[in-house]
Amino acid sequence: MASTSNNDAVGMPQLDFSTFPNQIFWLVVFCVILFAIVKLFIIPRMEDIFANRRKIIDGNIAKAEEIRIRISEIEKQIEEEIGKAKAQCDDIMNTSANNVKEQMSIALEDSKTATSQLINEAQGRLEELKDGSEAAIKKISEELANEIISKISRGK
Amino acid sequence: MEKQSAFNIYPMDQFIIEPILMGENLEWYSFTNQALWMLISLAAISFVFIYGSRKHQLVPGRLQSVAELMYFFIRDMIIDIAGQEGLRYFPYIFTLFILILFGNVLGLLPYSFTYTSHIAVTGFLALSVFIAVTLIGFLKNGFGFLSLFWISSAPLALRPILLIIEVISYFVRPVSHSIRLAGNMMAGHAVIKVFAGFAGALGLGAIAPIFAITAVYGLEMLVVVIQAYVFTILTCVYLNDALHPGH
Repeated sequence: MASTSNNDAVGMPQLDFSTFPNQIFWLVVFCVILFAIVKLFIIPRMEDIFANRRKIIDGNIAKAEEIRIRISEIEKQIEEEIGKAKAQCDDIMNTSANNVKEQMSIALEDSKTATSQLINEAQGRLEELKDGSEAAIKKISEELANEIISKISRGK
Repeated sequence: MEKQSAFNIYPMDQFIIEPILMGENLEWYSFTNQALWMLISLAAISFVFIYGSRKHQLVPGRLQSVAELMYFFIRDMIIDIAGQEGLRYFPYIFTLFILILFGNVLGLLPYSFTYTSHIAVTGFLALSVFIAVTLIGFLKNGFGFLSLFWISSAPLALRPILLIIEVISYFVRPVSHSIRLAGNMMAGHAVIKVFAGFAGALGLGAIAPIFAITAVYGLEMLVVVIQAYVFTILTCVYLNDALHPGH
């Protein structure tokens, strides 16, 4: 039989009941050691790895959420800034347009007064010239008359 | 095994339990080839699960992902079949699974010994499961556990007959549970051995037997994993019966 280190299996060695106590003894020893390994090493380690992974995934999700919120904040800020810039731009445009208008009106006023002055001056000169010419005509005609008179009187 | 010659094929020799180290006679404490392979299996399990995942990697390496795959496969299986309550028994079921799986897989190595091919081993495991599950059933549900045998969804007239069938099938469980595993392991190894014997007898021309060995070996690779899975999943099913006998 198999129990006595004989190499020939008679039938099925599985049914050699004389080996059962030995098999069961070693199986129990094996099971106890294996269960201890599972309980003390494998499960804590696997659960630790799993918990760590869970933690990191949750952390990443939380971080992503945080970043999303910050992005929307930044977007809001950008919009605000754009609005402000637009307002500023309008302001600058308005003031510069006003300035130009003012300056233009001032220049217009100036030119108006200048032209009226020039016209006055020119009128004055014209008057003067008119007066002058009348006097000159008078003088010339007097001189002419005198000359004529003297010529006539000499000829006689 | 050196004694083999020509057509003397001894496919069952590989299952003989022999004492090694301590004396020639097999006592209950003798260290045998079977005990040696249990030890090797322990070493292999420690290698995969303790050495392989020593770095606690976030993104697992090769060995660690193998370990995680097995671990979470069994964990999810228990939750799927026996529900969240079943997780309490996870350490026991997981121990059972890797014990059988590593025994089966290591048994495929040439010159190895398959401890799961012995009815004493599988019978002990199946009886342990049977007793544990029965105890859990009675402890959790009291005599309500007996409603497992009284099929309330069947017509009243059929229930006594079903009761007999259910009771018989309940007590046959450990038998089928253990013989299924040991039988599969033994048959596969014996078949390989028979073809190996043919190959040995035919010598250099043994193309067909070697091809057959390769084919059977491939099939056995599948069978050893499936049988470990089947043993475990049936344990989960029995556990579920104990936890929720009303179904």
